[in-house]
Amino acid sequence: MVRLPYTTALTTLFSYGLLFAFGQLRDFFRKFVDWFKAKNVKGYAPICLGLEDFYVRRLYLRIQDCFGRPIASAPDSWFDVVERTSNDNNKTLQCTSNTTRCLNLGSYNYLGFAAADEYCTPRVIESLKKYSASTCSVRVDGGTTKLHAELEELAARFVGKPAAILFGMGYVTNSAIIPCLIGKGGLIISDSLNHNSIVNGARGSGATVRVFQHNSPAHLEEVLREQIAGGQPRTHRPWKKIIVIVEGIYSMEGELCKLPEIIAVCKKYKAYTYLDEAHSIGAVGQSGRGVCELLGVDPADVDIMMGTFTKSFGSCGGYIAASKEIIQHLKQSCPAHLYATSMSPPAVQQVISAIKVILGEDGSNRGAQKLARIRENSNFFRSELKKMGFEVLGDNDSPVMPIMLYNPAKIPAFSRECLRQKVAVVTVAFPATPLLLARARICISASHTREDLMKALDVISRVGDLVGIKYFPAEPPKIAEADAEITS
Amino acid sequence: MGRRGEPYYVEAAPPVDVNKNTEWFMYPGVWTTYILLLFFVWLLVLSVSGCSPGAAWTVVNLAHFAITYHFFHWKKGTPFAADDQGIYSRLTWWEQIDNGQQLTRNRKFLTVVPVVLYLIASHLTDYKQPMFFLNTIAVFVLVVAKLPNMHKVRIFGINADI
Repeated sequence: MVRLPYTTALTTLFSYGLLFAFGQLRDFFRKFVDWFKAKNVKGYAPICLGLEDFYVRRLYLRIQDCFGRPIASAPDSWFDVVERTSNDNNKTLQCTSNTTRCLNLGSYNYLGFAAADEYCTPRVIESLKKYSASTCSVRVDGGTTKLHAELEELAARFVGKPAAILFGMGYVTNSAIIPCLIGKGGLIISDSLNHNSIVNGARGSGATVRVFQHNSPAHLEEVLREQIAGGQPRTHRPWKKIIVIVEGIYSMEGELCKLPEIIAVCKKYKAYTYLDEAHSIGAVGQSGRGVCELLGVDPADVDIMMGTFTKSFGSCGGYIAASKEIIQHLKQSCPAHLYATSMSPPAVQQVISAIKVILGEDGSNRGAQKLARIRENSNFFRSELKKMGFEVLGDNDSPVMPIMLYNPAKIPAFSRECLRQKVAVVTVAFPATPLLLARARICISASHTREDLMKALDVISRVGDLVGIKYFPAEPPKIAEADAEITS
Repeated sequence: MGRRGEPYYVEAAPPVDVNKNTEWFMYPGVWTTYILLLFFVWLLVLSVSGCSPGAAWTVVNLAHFAITYHFFHWKKGTPFAADDQGIYSRLTWWEQIDNGQQLTRNRKFLTVVPVVLYLIASHLTDYKQPMFFLNTIAVFVLVVAKLPNMHKVRIFGINADI
C-alpha cells in the first residue's frame, strides 16, 4: 500500500500519456519515412507485430543508460562502474575504457560475501584447483562431488528441514521445480507480486493459476474458499492439490510476508505452502535463518522452502529444502537435476564457507557481527530516509528499501544525478513494477560502513531535493536547547 | 487540497489485475486526469484558433473520437512484449479492461464521457449542420463499440485477426 499526493498521481498519468503520445507520433512518421525503403525479406512474417515492442523502442530506449550498467570490479560496497557514451540519443551505447569508483547501493550483497573474504576465498581457490571450474556433467552422471553432498546436508540443516536439493541457477530452481510438484488438475494460488520465475514455473506446470491480493491473508482465504467450493473449471471436480506460493521478502517492495497468518489459513484449508526465500535467507533473522526465524514460524509448517545462493552467500544457484520424500521425488523427476550441468564446485565451496561463517562454525563470530551490522544498517538507513521525507517502502529489518519516484522523468533524473555524485543506485520502472509506481531500490549490505551510509544519505537527500521526491513532510532536526528551554 | 497547504494523499493498492496493459487504469486519479486533459485540449484549441466555444468542443469531440476509437477499439494486443505469450493479441484494449468483465464502473464512466462531450458540443453549436451530423456519428460509433453485446464482435470481418 503506497500513499502518494493526489497531484503526483495526476502528473504521473499525464507524463505517461505525453510520452505515449510522442511515441505514437514518432512511429507514425517512421511509417512514412520507411514506406519507400526497400524491404529485404520477402514473404517472411515480421518478428514483432507493430504494437508489441512499442514500450521498448519509445520509452525504455530513451533512458537506456540508466539500466544495465556494466561494472569492472567485484560488487563490494565500493565498485567501478564503466562509463558509456551514445552517439544516437541512447539508441545504442558504447562502453569507454573509463571507470568511476562508486558507492554500491544496488547489489544484493547482504552479508558482504561478494568481495574477497578471509575465510571463504582461500577455500574457494583450493577447491578450484582440486575440482576445477566445472564438473562437466549432470548430477546423476558424474557431477555430484563430495562438496555437493556436503552442501545439500548443510543447507537442509541451516534452514531446518530434513533434506535439500541444489540447482545451478536461482531462476531455474523455481521454474523447473513447480512443474514437478503440480500438474493439470491442480491449483496454484500465488501472491500478485511474485517473481517472474514463479510465474513462469506456474505457467509451465499446466495447473490452474489464481492470484491473491499482495500479502493479504483475508483475500487468500476468500480465494481458497471460492476455489475449493467451485472445484476445477468446467468439470467442477475437486482439485488434485492446492499449492500457495509466497515470498519471504518481496524484492520490489522490501516487505516481509505475513507468514504466520498465511500458514494458518493454508493449514485450515489443507493447502500446501511454498516459500521463496531468495532475498530473506541469510539476511534476516537472529541467526540468519530467514523469515521463519524472524516471524517465529516453525519450518516444519512450511511444506517447501526455496532459496537462492546469489544474494546473501555471494555465489550462484538455488536450493529447495523439504521432507525426504519430496526431495527424493524431485531428484528423480526434475529436469534441472537430471539434465542440467551441476553447480560449479568453487561456487559450492563458497556457499559452504559462507554458511559456516554465518553459523559461527569457522571459529569466529564474524557471522554474528555481519548479521548485527546488516540489521543496524538497514534500520538506520530506513529511519533516516523516512525522516527526510522520502516515501520508503518495506518493513523494519528488511535490507531492501525502495524509494518511490512515480514520475517517469524522475527515473533518469535520479539515476543520472546520483551517478554523477558517485553513488550507484538501481531504478526500476515498468514492467517490473506497476506503471505508476516507479522506484529506486536500495539494497543495504553488511559491508557498508557508517561513513558510507552517511555519504549515501547526504547524496540522496541532495538529489531528492533537486528531483522533488520528498513527498512527505520532513521531520525537523531536534534541537536539545530548545527542548530544555520549553520544559524549564 | 487538504487543510492549510497540506497535500491530499491517496492510497494506491497494487491491483490484482495481471494484464499490465490495463492495470494502470485502476489507480486513483485516472478519471480526473482524463477529464482535465479534455478540458485543457479545449482551452488549447480555443486559444490557438480563436473560434467559437461550440466549434472548439466539436473539434475536441471529433479528435477524442478518432484517438479513443484508434486506441481502445482498433489496436489489439499490448504495447510491450509481455510474458503473457500473446493471450491478449486478439483483444482490443476495451475488451481487455477489467479482465473482460462487462458493465464495471470504469466501463460505465468511459461510455458516459463521449455522450457528455456530444451534449456539450451540440448544445454550444445550437444543433446546426454540419457539426451536428459529425458529432452524432462520433457518439453513435463510440457508444455502440462500448456496448456489452459488441464484446469480441468484428463486423464484416473488419479488424479481424491476421
